[in-house]
Amino acid sequence: MNPYSCNRRATASSRREFLTRSGLGFGGLALNCMLQAESAGADAPAAAAYNPLGVKPPHFAAKARSVIFIFLQGGPSQLETFDPKPELQKYDGQYLPPSYLKKGIGLAQIKAEESKLMGTRRVFRKHGQSGLEISDLFPKLSEFADDLAVIRSCYHESFIHGPAITIIHTGSLLMGQPSMGAWVLYGLGSETDNLPAYMVMADDYMRNSKSVIGSGFLPAVYQGTVLSTQGAALENLQPPGPVTQENQQAILSQLKQWNQRHLADRSDDSSLAARIRNYELAFRMQMAGPELIDLSREPKHINRLYGLDTKETANFGRMCLLSRRMVERGVRFVHLYNSDWDGHGECDKNHRENAIKTDGPVAGLLADLKQRGMLDSTLVVLAGEFGRTPIMQGKEGRDHSPYGFSVVMAGGGIKGGKAIGATDELGFYAAEDKVHVHDMHATMLELLGLDHHKLNVKVSGLEKRLTGVGEDGNHSVAKRLLAG
Amino acid sequence: MRGCLPVRTVQCLAGLAVLGIASLVQAAADPTSQAAHAILQKHCLSCHGAGQMSGLDLRQRESLLKGGSRGPAVVVGDASQSLLYRSAAHLGEPKMPPGSRRPLPQGDLAILKEWIEAGAPYPEAGAAAGEPSWWSLKKPRRPQVPQLDESAPNPIDAFILAKLRERDLEPAPEADKATLLRRAYFDLIGLPPTPAQADRFLQNTSPDAFEELIDELLASSHYGERWGRHWLDVVRYADSAGFEGDVFYPNAWRYRDYVIKSFNEDKPYDRFVQEQIAGDELFPNNLEMEGFYDIDPEKLEHMEARIGTTLYTFGPEIQESHLDAERLRYERLTDAVDTTAAAFMGLTLECSRCHDHKFDPFTQKDYFRLQAVFAASSRKTIPVVSSMSTGHRREDYHRMIALAEARASYQRFEKQVKDRVIEIKKKDYPPEVVRAYEVPMEERSARELELAAPLAQFYMDMKIEDHLSDEETKRHGKHIRKLARAVLDVPVEDASHRVKYQGFFDVPSATVLGHLKPELVPDTYLLNRGELSLKREIVHPGLPAALRGGSVPDTLSMDPFGPRYRKQFALWLTRPTHPLTARVMANRIWQGHFGHGLVRTSNDFGRQGGRPSHPELLDWLATEFVDRGWSVKAMHRLIMLSDAYRRDSRYTTATHRQRDPENRLLWRMNRRRLEGEAVWDSLHAVAGNLNPAMGGRPTIPPLSKVEMSSLRIKPWWAVSEDPAAGRRRGVYILARRNFTFPMFDKFDVPNSSVSCAGREVTTVAPQALWSLNNDASFRQARVLADRLVREAGPGPEDQVELAWKLVLARPPTADERQEAITLLSRLTSSNGSRASHPSGEGAEPATGQREALTQLCLAMFNLSEFFYID
Repeated sequence: MNPYSCNRRATASSRREFLTRSGLGFGGLALNCMLQAESAGADAPAAAAYNPLGVKPPHFAAKARSVIFIFLQGGPSQLETFDPKPELQKYDGQYLPPSYLKKGIGLAQIKAEESKLMGTRRVFRKHGQSGLEISDLFPKLSEFADDLAVIRSCYHESFIHGPAITIIHTGSLLMGQPSMGAWVLYGLGSETDNLPAYMVMADDYMRNSKSVIGSGFLPAVYQGTVLSTQGAALENLQPPGPVTQENQQAILSQLKQWNQRHLADRSDDSSLAARIRNYELAFRMQMAGPELIDLSREPKHINRLYGLDTKETANFGRMCLLSRRMVERGVRFVHLYNSDWDGHGECDKNHRENAIKTDGPVAGLLADLKQRGMLDSTLVVLAGEFGRTPIMQGKEGRDHSPYGFSVVMAGGGIKGGKAIGATDELGFYAAEDKVHVHDMHATMLELLGLDHHKLNVKVSGLEKRLTGVGEDGNHSVAKRLLAG
Repeated sequence: MRGCLPVRTVQCLAGLAVLGIASLVQAAADPTSQAAHAILQKHCLSCHGAGQMSGLDLRQRESLLKGGSRGPAVVVGDASQSLLYRSAAHLGEPKMPPGSRRPLPQGDLAILKEWIEAGAPYPEAGAAAGEPSWWSLKKPRRPQVPQLDESAPNPIDAFILAKLRERDLEPAPEADKATLLRRAYFDLIGLPPTPAQADRFLQNTSPDAFEELIDELLASSHYGERWGRHWLDVVRYADSAGFEGDVFYPNAWRYRDYVIKSFNEDKPYDRFVQEQIAGDELFPNNLEMEGFYDIDPEKLEHMEARIGTTLYTFGPEIQESHLDAERLRYERLTDAVDTTAAAFMGLTLECSRCHDHKFDPFTQKDYFRLQAVFAASSRKTIPVVSSMSTGHRREDYHRMIALAEARASYQRFEKQVKDRVIEIKKKDYPPEVVRAYEVPMEERSARELELAAPLAQFYMDMKIEDHLSDEETKRHGKHIRKLARAVLDVPVEDASHRVKYQGFFDVPSATVLGHLKPELVPDTYLLNRGELSLKREIVHPGLPAALRGGSVPDTLSMDPFGPRYRKQFALWLTRPTHPLTARVMANRIWQGHFGHGLVRTSNDFGRQGGRPSHPELLDWLATEFVDRGWSVKAMHRLIMLSDAYRRDSRYTTATHRQRDPENRLLWRMNRRRLEGEAVWDSLHAVAGNLNPAMGGRPTIPPLSKVEMSSLRIKPWWAVSEDPAAGRRRGVYILARRNFTFPMFDKFDVPNSSVSCAGREVTTVAPQALWSLNNDASFRQARVLADRLVREAGPGPEDQVELAWKLVLARPPTADERQEAITLLSRLTSSNGSRASHPSGEGAEPATGQREALTQLCLAMFNLSEFFYID
């Protein structure tokens, strides 16, 4: 299925061993693809020292340093959120005009010709100086209207959750590709040496599990790390019950001596040296992991800001607060799952319930980032895997629609207070300034100082673009999103 | 036969032979020529390759000189008059590549100029006429073994020493016996030697000791588990489909067992390939499972061959594709062709699904011809037990009806209780809520649905156990007992045929390939850009034109018995002269021993892949493989008895590092990190609690809550009831595409979305955290500690001695012994002081010692020496 490579591959035509710079010692990879990243075909010179997670300069000056991607899983309706369609209200209860049916609409659970249009119950108002229209689902987020850029014309090709989630995360409909967190980490490296630089949290479940936050054909070092929002947060950070810290230190120091003696006889093998340094990093992670999730030192007003004091918002609020703490500590890419917006049944009710959980925490996150001066360097994105149909499913439900949906961005160099692109009058198809998911990805990368055309690696003899854009693909940055 | 090679003699005698080889590869090795071809590949071949834009094809010298519609591309010896150079340098029209604003970089132009002036050589100059130009598509010709020594060393060494001699590099000395022991064990069975096994080999002073060891290991049934796992990587084996639904493939494991058995039996590789592609078509009329108490052995053998085709039934699949039969079929065919090409042919054919291959002579038509080969096939689930036994199961089917009735009866009772409770609950709600709730669900308006929600939710979430009256409690108990009885009454086996049912009450079955009725086979179309909606002409089953070699017709014909295209394809693929099949597998076997193949891109023998480091050796191995009846075990013996295999991996000099930093010429052995499965297996083997059970349904070891947290549907990881099942070898652990066993995930086990040519090796901190802190690692340390006490007695010296022998297959050095004992006493006193502390858990000093020994074992599980094979 995946036309290019296996997930964990070793097919590079010439492997090299790389030393790892001390301090940031994740490394010791044996893989030549990184070296060949920008010199396809040519044999790149053997690097004396190479740390796959070392900080790398961007291709050009970056506006954003990190990303918080808030994934509204299930597919929120653009018509109830960010895309006001007064015309749709007029046609409420009527069948789709024949001009639409000619397009041969593919939908997951309903037939377009048998379904009636359904207006929204939400009320859209203009907000802020800019007058950006947002529905009353998000009263708190609306206060940041002047910071938000809404792309109303996003689209892609799959109306099914599985592949749609896959393309939003990886730029491809197929399995086995690296996720956007992996691209960014590959392109820019990590600014933390004691935490995973690409972290994922879910308030409920991850529909595609870990397959879409993986590193695909890149080394596993670039994959997302899931932080459990309950209990022990990260895997294996706690020494086993009877091992006290004192004992662990005794073990580690003896281990180091033995491993160094083993290395002394094999001093040209960089992976063995990297391995020894990994134990130091592991030890630091044991400290940094619990410190990260310890919210007890956050002042009360911050807890309130994120809604930790309210039952509905406490869960997602905690995730948003943790996101800010992660970015503060140098985490490059935070991916939040907010579930579940799949409003097949009663779309309005589903969305109201979800918005109550989401609105306050996201607004709190923006406020907090802003007051700390972090919003300018942190790109915040809100997106589902698709939007929903203007036609009704069952009792006031809406089916999936990847043909025209809204994505919101803020911070990280985004020019706020504006809507970009438009769907048609019924809010079904992206009609003006269409922004494919690839364009959205290209724009995110641009803000991070990365040219998506240059993010290539060589896999199984093929030059493979990380973002999944095919060779014929000509995807562009939505320039109007970017601040002057 | 063997012995240490007298290197000096070898070098003297090698001289002449080497000269011949060197001149043959001269053109390819010439750096200017190579660089020039790289430039052509990067900038020109996407249009002027198979695409032949304007009639120009730059892939071969003849067509370069012939040129396209604008005339010859090159005037040999004169770059300034050569159209190719002028276009690239923007010295006139056309300017190339199309749309370029600037000429190619000066450096590139200089290379092109030099190349044209040197006569524009192509690497394949001198290839036999009529054959494809690329090395891997030409028939392997058995090369002459370089004559090195009258004592007739292993021919492998002749080839390797010849190359080393060329670069004036001394080979490393032979590794010591202890190193060879561990190397051979992990290479062939993926497990460490026990102290007794180690002693036996180390004390065997016979010159044939190593050969005997190899034979012993090849005869072990653990061999198939080790090498079967390598093959499972290549065929993207998994027990589920991936994506959102991650649909389960309940019979995939039969293929895993088939592979393990095939390796253990040393099934000839040609036969192994044939069975996987066309097991059903090889023996089409003998698959009905009729018999009395026993099925004819021949039938069983044919059934087993057919399980080879299960390969095509466990690919990645989007469950929702079932909404669209045509798309589903296309995705399956794509997976079938891509996997076939990668696994058996070592070709990356995927690109030619969308366009003619830019670099290799494969067209889009070739690609869809191969899809057509598989187009008449469909998945079938068939019983693998006699029809007598399936009949017996149906005799017992009334048990299932009784069970369904018991469940229905429980559910009716449950509803009665719920209905009673909800009536009471209604009193807490205002009348409009109650009214809305009383409207039947499907008739409720949106408003009513919203009003009724709290009651509806309460009803749905209600656990009746929380609301039972005394009388209901009694009835509840009765119902539950009845249900349990009904469940237990369902037989677990058909005793008279000794057939155990699968799962709950399923007939043991296999999912394999069968056929659609010929008249129902959908046409296969060549698809523009690989898009299902852009159909061009109908394509018939056929072989890739570049590989047909003239002797086989363009399209495969319909067999009188039906569309046996896969069989024809498989037989063609396994002809002894096929250029790819034997080479690709010989290379994989080599990779399994040295960490890399002679061609490092073992799934890509095309132009974008790597070139063989030792082309003659690869051809010699490929022909030898065929000559030895495609015996994989014979190849292991051959390779492992070479000097090249037995070299020290630690040897190095500045000269070696400088001349061949990647050890492509094999002047020493490559050090290798154990794969995730091998680490898992070793942890259990050294602790002595590895469960050696073979085969059967996937095993599911317990996981911590955090490890489970990213799993969407927790029952997907339904932990095996038998604790011993969690201690089986890694190859038997459930391989879900959507959820890799977390320990494997950290140690680079592939996720099986496509064929995996070889494992990546990362070295990351989460690996260290796993072996330091994970429950399983700690549990194994404790089991090992208890074993040490049991087998070595109470003395720390003896315990340390045994620990080293078990974990590292060698005794500790004096320093290590002392250090370990010091660490032990330090840990004991620390644990002891805790134990004697009033707030401690009342542990006795003995517990302190046990903890200390456990922690020493834990430390050993983190040794580099444990994770690496020298």
